[in-house]
Amino acid sequence: MLKHLYDTDCVTWSPQGKLFQVEYAMEAVKQGSICLGLKSNDHVVLCSLKRQPSELAGYQEKQFKIDDHMAIAIAGLTADARVLCKYMRTECLEYKYTYESHHPVGRLVFKVAEKSQHKTQSGAKRPYGVGLLVAGIDPNGVHLFETCPSGNYYEYKCQAIGSRSQAARTYFESWFHLFQKSNLEQLILHGLSAIKKAIMEDEELNEKNVEVGILGKNQKFTHLNAQELKNYIAQLETFNPNSQIQQE
Amino acid sequence: MIFNSEISGQQEHTTSPVVTGGSVIALVYNGGVLVGTDTLCSYGSMATFKNVQKIAQISKNTIYVSSGEFSDFQQVVRELAKIDRSALQYDDGVHPSPKDYGNYLARLSYKKRCKINPLYLQNVIAGFDNDKYLALVDIYGTYLESKFITTGFASYFCKAIISNYWNENCSLDQAKQVIRECFKVLFCRDCRAHDVIQLAYVDAQGTHIEEPERVETKWDFNGFKYRANEKLHTQ
Repeated sequence: MLKHLYDTDCVTWSPQGKLFQVEYAMEAVKQGSICLGLKSNDHVVLCSLKRQPSELAGYQEKQFKIDDHMAIAIAGLTADARVLCKYMRTECLEYKYTYESHHPVGRLVFKVAEKSQHKTQSGAKRPYGVGLLVAGIDPNGVHLFETCPSGNYYEYKCQAIGSRSQAARTYFESWFHLFQKSNLEQLILHGLSAIKKAIMEDEELNEKNVEVGILGKNQKFTHLNAQELKNYIAQLETFNPNSQIQQE
Repeated sequence: MIFNSEISGQQEHTTSPVVTGGSVIALVYNGGVLVGTDTLCSYGSMATFKNVQKIAQISKNTIYVSSGEFSDFQQVVRELAKIDRSALQYDDGVHPSPKDYGNYLARLSYKKRCKINPLYLQNVIAGFDNDKYLALVDIYGTYLESKFITTGFASYFCKAIISNYWNENCSLDQAKQVIRECFKVLFCRDCRAHDVIQLAYVDAQGTHIEEPERVETKWDFNGFKYRANEKLHTQ
């Protein structure tokens, strides 16, 4: 197919009904390092693998707090992610100023999706090259959303995006029926197990390259600190999801 | 008086009300929040509109009442309805809670006050959202949550009655009696008050706005019927 004829800008359709620029933007998300999220009845956990550009550099943070009740994990162009993060934070602050309450999660994701879609329908703009996993808690319940450069958004029980995320999704498919009733500890261990499936053979999961963020109905967004991460990673050796089934 | 703007070309802001509503009394009781107003809108000292419903239901579990300029009351009702309508756009089933309305109104009032063009109102928002909610937003945009609220002349005449006969755990009927008693006193003493009142309450089941009722007042004293020593009416 003569892709190059139809992929110059967002305002050109291909004969097959595709917008190639948007699809290329989604590729950028797939190039980012993996981040995943999973939720239970009371908690949402975000796990991500941080990349280190070189030995001399620090690790790139992938999770950002939007408000006490909401956080995102990003995969793709970090610069684009910063723009969306700033937008979401501003919206939450304005909502809080006007109503003294937390911005409903689904509504903010809708706004981000609307913003993203706008970039896919203009001659002079390009889509955002970042996918977000939005974790949030509001009176409607516990939420996990994924947003795309295309302007679509989906709600999930658990989802992984980024490179080698299929391995994590396969893990989720086997075990997600346990997540709803899991407690926080089990949820974190499931998240870390899923990430472990997605790392390369020569890589190792340690407290430096993994980031875990937690949100709870009565708990503001926090990151696990290095010591807690170490403990959980150590527990991975003996973690057996089957034992959770036996408990129930 | 206020209409020089066309002559001078400058925008003038409304600084005094034209058609006004009277006092509002709101009390928390054991099952929810009760609000009472009279049904009069005065045109200055003339009791012009005597059958006005001044209680607005703005959502399933929130009511809004105010005393002051009635056109501002009507505008605020439209403004508050706008917030809930915008929820349709998002299709997520999330509706503003009574607290959201209260805070929004506080921000709106404050903004207008800063432009020296206030909403000439003392606003009361009452609701029930897992718990009772009652708040006052005044003409300056001050926001106060409270267990009982009185506006206008009720603040002067009725606080003693409320403090003697009401507590926050009383029953609905007790609270209604207190409000009726307050409006009796107001009708006797406040020149802009009316003896027909309307009560509304919000509880866990939702909003209930009652039919207007007349408070009992006694006027057949001999001193009113007969002048000095003269008998006007045959027995």
